Amino acid sequence: MVGALLASAVLLVAAGWFIRRAERVPGRLQSLIELPIEWIAGIVRNTGGKRSAEFAALVIAVFLFVLVANLIGLLPGVGTVGLAHEGEHGEPTLVPLVRAAAADLNFTLGLAIIAFVAFVAWGIRANGVLGYLKELLIAEPAYMTPLLTPIHLISELSRVISLSMRLFGNIFAGEALLAVMIVLAPLLVPAAFLGFEVLVAFVQALVFALLTMTYITLAIAEHRQHDSQAAHPGTEPERKEASPAPGSA
Amino acid sequence: MNAVEFQLLAAGLAIGLGTIGPGIGIGIGFSKAMEAIGRNPDASGTIFVPYILGIALTEAMAIYALVIGLILIFAVG
Repeated sequence: MVGALLASAVLLVAAGWFIRRAERVPGRLQSLIELPIEWIAGIVRNTGGKRSAEFAALVIAVFLFVLVANLIGLLPGVGTVGLAHEGEHGEPTLVPLVRAAAADLNFTLGLAIIAFVAFVAWGIRANGVLGYLKELLIAEPAYMTPLLTPIHLISELSRVISLSMRLFGNIFAGEALLAVMIVLAPLLVPAAFLGFEVLVAFVQALVFALLTMTYITLAIAEHRQHDSQAAHPGTEPERKEASPAPGSA
Repeated sequence: MNAVEFQLLAAGLAIGLGTIGPGIGIGIGFSKAMEAIGRNPDASGTIFVPYILGIALTEAMAIYALVIGLILIFAVG
């Protein structure tokens, strides 16, 4: 939890600095802060469809938060600062104060629930409450409803599980891998794996943000599909453009 | 073997067997992405995002196996 708070603190300090000191011609530090934001904003703009501006802030925030939290957990020496505890059999053990935040399921589950609320809320906003429930509960050929609705509900809920477990599993497995490598080959070898974990930290942050975006886009696009079919049946290409992502997880 | 040992064996088998499929799937996806970039290097930016999403969705299968493994270890009394 301290790791997550630390990540928030880093982001807040960066944001505060940015508000006070930002200039039209960016300096070195400002470019460093702007680089990931502009990059992910570009991705959201290109693949998020026409309404991407509405949820770009959420996606960027999720990306930066997870990225900073992951990287803080990878800082060498972070795990050595902690509180001493008596173990079960009286031996002293160290409980690290700052761990990789995503190695705790509470952190990732919280983020996944935020993402879930976000894409349900956007679905309801684009579709109306009744339209959303109809989309959720009634399958396309009506007689298939008893068979398809449970599957649809489960796939909807499994998004939360897969989102949270993906981040948790990757970061936790990374920590375990590093610990095992340090025991097996204490010299130089763990450094290579640390580099690999930096890559994983980045990719997982990106995956979390992109999946959040994709689910929101899908929730909005479902609505469009019906809208454009009812109003103008000939707007197929535009609909395809709006939902470029693969199907639900 | 007692029940706990079977539990651990089952958890190991669940994650071990469960990663075979996603491993093959991610390999296929990666090879196709590399092929596509090889044919059209300019499109690498366009390919990147759908590739990451596809990998993430394939990986979800392995994550379900991980969940089952964790349940077997911690949740099954």
